[in-house]
Amino acid sequence: MTEKDPLNVVVTGVGGQGNVLISQLIGKALVKKGYHVTIGETYGASQRGGAVMSHIRISRQEQYGPLIPEGQADVILGLEPVETMRVLAQFGHPGVIVIANSRPVYTMAVTTGAAEYPGTEEVARLLGELSSAAWVIDATDIALEMGASILTNIIMVGALVGSQALPLGPEELEAALRDSMPSDKLEMNLTAARRGLEEARTRAAVPS
Amino acid sequence: MSIATGKAGTSELYMGNEAIARGALEAGVGFAAAYPGTPSSEVIATLAEVAKEGEIYAEWSVNEKVAMEVAAAASFAGVRAIVAMKQNGINVASDFLMNLNLTGTRAGLVLAACDDPSALSSTNEQDSRPFAKWADLPLLEPGTFQEAKDMTRWAFEISEEIRNACMLRTVTRVSHARGDVELGELIPPSKEARFTATSPVDFTPYPVPFKHHQMIAKLEKARELFESSPFNRYVGPERPELLVVTSGACWLYSLEAVKALRAGDRVGILKLGTTWPLPEKFVQKHLARTERVLVVEEVAPFLEGNLKELVGGHLADAGQLTFYGKRSGHIPDSGELNPDLVAKALGSVLDLEVEGVSPEYVQKAQQLTGSHTHMRAIGFCAGCPHRASFWSIKNALKLDGRGGFVTGDIGCYTMALGPTGYFQVKTVQAMGSGVGLACGFGNLARTGFEQPVVSVCGDSTFFHAAIPALLNGIYNHSNFTLMILDNSATAMTGFQPHPGIGKTATGETTPAVDIEALCRAMGVRVEVTDPFDLEGTTEKLLELLRDDGGVRVLISKRTCGLVRARQGEPDYRVHIDPEKCRGDACGCARLCTRVFQCPGLIWDAETDRAKIDEVICSGCGVCADVCPAGAIINEAI
Amino acid sequence: MSAELKGPQQLQGEVIDKHLCALCGACVGVCPYLVSHQGRIVVMDECNLSEGRCYAVCPRTSVDFDELNRVVFGVPRPEGELGLVREVLMARAGEGAARKKGQYGGTVSALMSFALREGLIDSAVLTSSDEALLPSGSAVRDEAGVLDCAGSNFVAAPTLAEFNREAVTDAQRIGVVATSCQVLALAKMRTSTLEKRDQIDKLALVVGLFCTWSLRYEDFVGFLREKTDLAEITKVDIPPPPAEVFEVYSNSSCVKLPLAEVRRFIRSTCDLCTDMTAELADLSVGSAEGVPGWNTLIVRSETGAELVKKAVADGAIETAPLPEENLEHLKGAALNKRKRALRNIIDKSGSSEDLLYLKLSEEALERLLA
Repeated sequence: MTEKDPLNVVVTGVGGQGNVLISQLIGKALVKKGYHVTIGETYGASQRGGAVMSHIRISRQEQYGPLIPEGQADVILGLEPVETMRVLAQFGHPGVIVIANSRPVYTMAVTTGAAEYPGTEEVARLLGELSSAAWVIDATDIALEMGASILTNIIMVGALVGSQALPLGPEELEAALRDSMPSDKLEMNLTAARRGLEEARTRAAVPS
Repeated sequence: MSIATGKAGTSELYMGNEAIARGALEAGVGFAAAYPGTPSSEVIATLAEVAKEGEIYAEWSVNEKVAMEVAAAASFAGVRAIVAMKQNGINVASDFLMNLNLTGTRAGLVLAACDDPSALSSTNEQDSRPFAKWADLPLLEPGTFQEAKDMTRWAFEISEEIRNACMLRTVTRVSHARGDVELGELIPPSKEARFTATSPVDFTPYPVPFKHHQMIAKLEKARELFESSPFNRYVGPERPELLVVTSGACWLYSLEAVKALRAGDRVGILKLGTTWPLPEKFVQKHLARTERVLVVEEVAPFLEGNLKELVGGHLADAGQLTFYGKRSGHIPDSGELNPDLVAKALGSVLDLEVEGVSPEYVQKAQQLTGSHTHMRAIGFCAGCPHRASFWSIKNALKLDGRGGFVTGDIGCYTMALGPTGYFQVKTVQAMGSGVGLACGFGNLARTGFEQPVVSVCGDSTFFHAAIPALLNGIYNHSNFTLMILDNSATAMTGFQPHPGIGKTATGETTPAVDIEALCRAMGVRVEVTDPFDLEGTTEKLLELLRDDGGVRVLISKRTCGLVRARQGEPDYRVHIDPEKCRGDACGCARLCTRVFQCPGLIWDAETDRAKIDEVICSGCGVCADVCPAGAIINEAI
Repeated sequence: MSAELKGPQQLQGEVIDKHLCALCGACVGVCPYLVSHQGRIVVMDECNLSEGRCYAVCPRTSVDFDELNRVVFGVPRPEGELGLVREVLMARAGEGAARKKGQYGGTVSALMSFALREGLIDSAVLTSSDEALLPSGSAVRDEAGVLDCAGSNFVAAPTLAEFNREAVTDAQRIGVVATSCQVLALAKMRTSTLEKRDQIDKLALVVGLFCTWSLRYEDFVGFLREKTDLAEITKVDIPPPPAEVFEVYSNSSCVKLPLAEVRRFIRSTCDLCTDMTAELADLSVGSAEGVPGWNTLIVRSETGAELVKKAVADGAIETAPLPEENLEHLKGAALNKRKRALRNIIDKSGSSEDLLYLKLSEEALERLLA
């Protein structure tokens, strides 16, 4: 399969979910493989609950700018459902691949009762309609099962690699984790990544 | 893995700021200083991380003027130094800068100026580049992460060659973005620092006209160096229909835009890395290729103006030239750029359509997602003491009844402009300006002014800029209350230490300056309160509002919620008794979720009751005092 | 019930912002949005409800005297300057502490003490002031408590906030001593469909006070502070015309201030009040002009009549016939206040069709002025 060049990946979520960690993990692994990688982050007051977006440009040939043009995301990895939808509307196109976490982080409008959050089924349906393939992964639930919600983003990276949407294999992801995780946290993170991989392989995509 | 461990010849994924730091290390930098400011903070933070092993000195200065001064001292003593700041920092440092440029530097001194187009994390989007022209200093604009590193290294050489500071200007999309960078060799810093004045005025701007003349000659020297710089290059046909002249982050956008329009045979791109002084011969050579020029830059039409100035000085040779850019409206006059905007501008000049996503998809996407993707508001974290402080401020001002208001400042608490802080903050400009404005409002009594004024500032802001303003208020007997929101953190920019914390940038212990003692020493009435004591804080503030005997200071003191969360178990396990909760009925009308608005409190539309989000709740227990029904229960842990 | 149901935003717009608020306190203490502070009602935050208890109980929204009389007395308001009346007497406290501490005849203190003693009520909501002369409601359960609250300082007090608070305690039969606007609010509370019945039904006795006006706290106290030491004040009084003074007593002296200066601090809502004798109470009490040491006592309801009968039998109070000229004078004064108020209301609204908060048919208006 000829690789698309540049391959444009958007990782999105809410501040504090570990967007930056994911994009760095992927970026470093790809640089090691000899790709040119550019990562642009949009985070204003990210820790204060705002939306976060990382634009990852992957190319064999040249360095691309840190902002993906509208409608040109090839892959969207969403750590949060509404943020995934927001990114899809701006950067998606009929051929995009979407992998989204099912667990919402409610906006203030929702927690104060001023707005409603869409249900999981509706989210899945929407994602399916606006992509060529979409997977909804219960990453936060799996992470809580494993004992730490903080593992959510690693599970999602595992799912991304498992979907084979990136020129990155499972061994390369594991190597990247070994390089960046402190030794006492490594095993847990490796397990989380493997769980994500499995989810992507075994789950059916949402009908589009 | 740090920026000091990467081996020469290998490629690593670096943030632009990290690349700048690495470039400085590769130039043998020995001294680094900054005040935190997005998007510049990582430059010095990264150097501070490797300070010990790299045997360099790195500090968080109290403000950018001092940062520039300490770095200049290093340069005067023969040590290569780098100072970094966001665009507003240049304003603070400018008085010193406009004296330093006349004084001249000795060892290389690089000023990394990191701008924030679209003010993603700022109060303005000023373009710092005109400072270089104003100060007669050379200006470099890296367009990639590799250039960020290589141009920083080169900047030290330029600075030493001309014996003046060299400015390196980036934007958020270079400073905070990441890309692969091929690393060079590290050089250890000089170990022979010594201050030697060779004349009575050696390290001064005197005599000014003479040194001014010298300064201009230095700039000419830089211009000659720039004529042959590899950071300036042309890509495109011999005689392009349109010449794009660009710099900085806009270069990669321009390349991508030309590709998207498939116009590579019609459009040439002149990318300039040295944008002041312009390498005039080089530029004129490329301008001669064409009759149409589109200048792509952000944020001000700086490059455009200088190009026109250049052409205007050689009108006889100019030929036919039409300029497009910000002045013609092809490039938006405000906000940051991106490949879509550049493509649109190019398309408009060349009469080409950009191939976008099918309109059916766009419409479908809007229809399906529009109602769900409302703005995700930012706000104070669960457990933030500022939420509690502003709740008390709101209550005190309401009870006081004289139409009092709050002048604000820069920090997390700036968010009190919005619902998270009950819309209390009414003014925001520069660091320390809230106190300055309060001094003014507080001296309007003889013109009929009767409203009580509260000025809020954080602990870091206090040290940065509020002290002179406070002194002014005391000295000029102004009538206002300064509420210092002391959460022992420079939180918004990433928890860099400051003089009240007791730790330096490199982790050493140092005496912590006591804000309360400092204010008392200034001779002003000082009260201290715990913001989590809502009733007590409201009462104290109410009393202070009525005391119009000069400035009063109320220190609202409690550790930042995020810092507290890292320290250990929360204070309480909080839950809501659904029997007692009044919900949206008369008697409550959802006070906790709708008005108090802590993200740990959620409105459950199914049960018509409020409930606690256990993942987000920090266990601070403040909401229990807000609930009118006693339905929120704190269990001590 | 025909009363309009509106919410706190309308309360703010129609009453508070228009300076109609009487500071009765009926809206205070039931929700976090309305509090009283230093003689003002403060709206702390925006309540988004379109229907609220606060609007329903306010004496300056939607007042239909016939409806209120029906709820309190079982009949619409009759013709006459003083509203529904069974008897008008003179009264004073029997020998004892109440007579000494009372403003005029000590009748109110004596009646409340008696009612508590006999268990006719188990809690009395009265009004008292702190050292800075700020008055507020005070719930007492015994005679000593009653005597602590004796006397008036003519400053408006949010007394009903204390009733609201007391109504959710273990008190079962609550008596309230209230001025006309507060009495009006209590009647509205009995009428409102938004009230919690288990709270308002605890209201067992309402003793109204004659009232021509009350003062704005902050301005008035600011003025007093310039004239005397607040902490020394033991009592204030307004002697009957033609004195035209406001007397401020301390242990050592009595300062007489020109009444005209004090009148500057009258709450603007008092100019729009039609009810001098607290018509919707069980009993209404005021001074007896020209008869020092005695009160005028209007008996209105069955409850009021029972209480007076028992109190007289016990010796807690004495009664005597009210001189005819006093009664005529009282009626004249009540009618004048009413007429003045209606004139002021029409001036303020700009039209005789718009009576602001009064919901009166033409017929009812005629009866009111008869």
